[in-house]
Amino acid sequence: MTTTKLKFEKVAQVAGAAGGLAWDGIGMLFTEMVMGMGGGSIRRYNPQDGSTSLFRKYTVLTNGIAFGPDGSLYGCQESSRRVVRFMDDGSTTLTECQINGRYHNQPTKLALDARGRIWFTDPWSTVRSFGPQFVPYLEHASVLRLERDPQRRLWEIKRITFDTAAPRAVALSPDDQTLYVAETDNNPGGLRELRAYPIQADDTLGPYRLLHSFGRDYRGEQRGIEGMCTDSAGNLVAVAGSNKCGPGPLLYVFSPSGAVLESHALPADLPMNCAFGDAGLGSLYVTTAGGELLRARDCGRTGRSFGR
Amino acid sequence: MLELDLETPGLSRLLAADAPLDRIYHGMTFGEGPVWNRRDDSFLWVDIVGDTIYRYRKGVGTEVLIHPSGKANGMTFDRQGRLNIAGWASRSVWRVEADGTVTTLAALYEGKKINSPNDIVVKSDGAIYFTDSPGALYNPAMAAEDLQQYLDFQGVFRISPDGKKIDVVVTDVVYPNGLAFTPDEKTLYVNCTRKSEITAYDVKADGSMGPGRLFHKLTGPEPGIADGMKVDTEGNVYCTGPGGLHVIDPTGRLLGRIRFAEHCTNMAFGGADGMDFYVTTYTSLFRTRVQVPGVAVW
Repeated sequence: MTTTKLKFEKVAQVAGAAGGLAWDGIGMLFTEMVMGMGGGSIRRYNPQDGSTSLFRKYTVLTNGIAFGPDGSLYGCQESSRRVVRFMDDGSTTLTECQINGRYHNQPTKLALDARGRIWFTDPWSTVRSFGPQFVPYLEHASVLRLERDPQRRLWEIKRITFDTAAPRAVALSPDDQTLYVAETDNNPGGLRELRAYPIQADDTLGPYRLLHSFGRDYRGEQRGIEGMCTDSAGNLVAVAGSNKCGPGPLLYVFSPSGAVLESHALPADLPMNCAFGDAGLGSLYVTTAGGELLRARDCGRTGRSFGR
Repeated sequence: MLELDLETPGLSRLLAADAPLDRIYHGMTFGEGPVWNRRDDSFLWVDIVGDTIYRYRKGVGTEVLIHPSGKANGMTFDRQGRLNIAGWASRSVWRVEADGTVTTLAALYEGKKINSPNDIVVKSDGAIYFTDSPGALYNPAMAAEDLQQYLDFQGVFRISPDGKKIDVVVTDVVYPNGLAFTPDEKTLYVNCTRKSEITAYDVKADGSMGPGRLFHKLTGPEPGIADGMKVDTEGNVYCTGPGGLHVIDPTGRLLGRIRFAEHCTNMAFGGADGMDFYVTTYTSLFRTRVQVPGVAVW
């Protein structure tokens, strides 16, 4: 199989690390993750004129962001231990941050299904959470799901995975039948895996298929997947790797069965997330820990997005 | 018994190691807001996370005064004896009237929502000063309804005695938390949780502040931060810090510390003679005795 190498170019740069991505129909929203109160932002890149504008201030360490099917914008505030909704009037509201009466950990990435349910990764993070450290963490690090109680319309959280220890990123297949989970523990001996869990008729997960496992070399453990999304054909696009070891920072395209259909070297280290954007959702965008927003036009695939 | 350390000769006049130390309530998640009400000899404090304002009376014990409380934080009384509250998660300063109704005193500055009022003090002319750090917008388990920060600074605000005007009087503290006037009200102390510093400001006739100067830097390897702060009638400053409470003389020199195994959040003088001394920690309310009375809040 021959594929054209994608040509990534830097289209925007922020001072902090760049994290989440969400295409809003006209522009690409991306987060600037800053530790410390009074920092962080969501920026909006406009591909029409190449400009970048400020979309939202003071979002601190908001990692993954995503639109729901009704156009609502959600974000994982890793250092505040919550998934929030960014309202159109400029306010920011909490969804729910307790599961069975206990506060969850530090959400990193999220994916929404057609029913508006929010699937998010909730690892123990190396990032210190804000404020006094009196709120205990869960004894597990899982994929959790926010959904609205059908009668009361209040958010509630359900635990989805029972066999993860370091979930970093999630994606859903276009038919919402498969949950992809990146189990990413970059510490020595940690697992760095891409897993596919079938979502069963009773809404629980079946046993996962291990689609890909990242290796190690003389310089250490290869950095696992940090962000991913699915294309309209159901393939998985993921970013992983670093200049420290292994094959370097890469964008991968995996088939649903785990075959590596494409891999593309990225021109910047420590990729954080990837998403489709531009007219027809035919371009791929990548954020990096160095604050870059990269784009490759005409990637030969099309994305899917709830962006308005 | 009090555990005192880093003692200098001046400390023994203020504190005696054999003073009783009673734990009179336990079970909060985040105690704060201690204040003595000399009108009815009661003591009030809050559990921020527990969303409750408590009242303690000798011979009666502890009862819930207000719940939910909007995760109320610092509290004081004004000259009319009304409870004034730094509303934290309510993003407002509010007052409990004599009939029990609630009045919002501040919620907006120049049309924007303020951050999350942390602690509060009332000057003798009736002006209210409060710190406005944004912790309720970011800290887990303390979340406000609207989590968005709108102001581009963390300030100390002044509400004019007639309640009609809200001015920002301090903007150069990174994370303003505790605040207290000297007994003559010529100086305002504001502490900074982030830098572990107490800054002193000259109070101008119009209630605004002159430039800040470093009054004291809190040091120590133990856990503990600059949070609650109060002043006694001789101008000595009590401030939470590493290891417990730091006692600082009017020149800014450390006199010694009262050690606490628990994380201290704030303190208040009380009792008929102003020498009962209450300390809130995350989980408990303690009471001891001091030998120099505090500045009465009203």
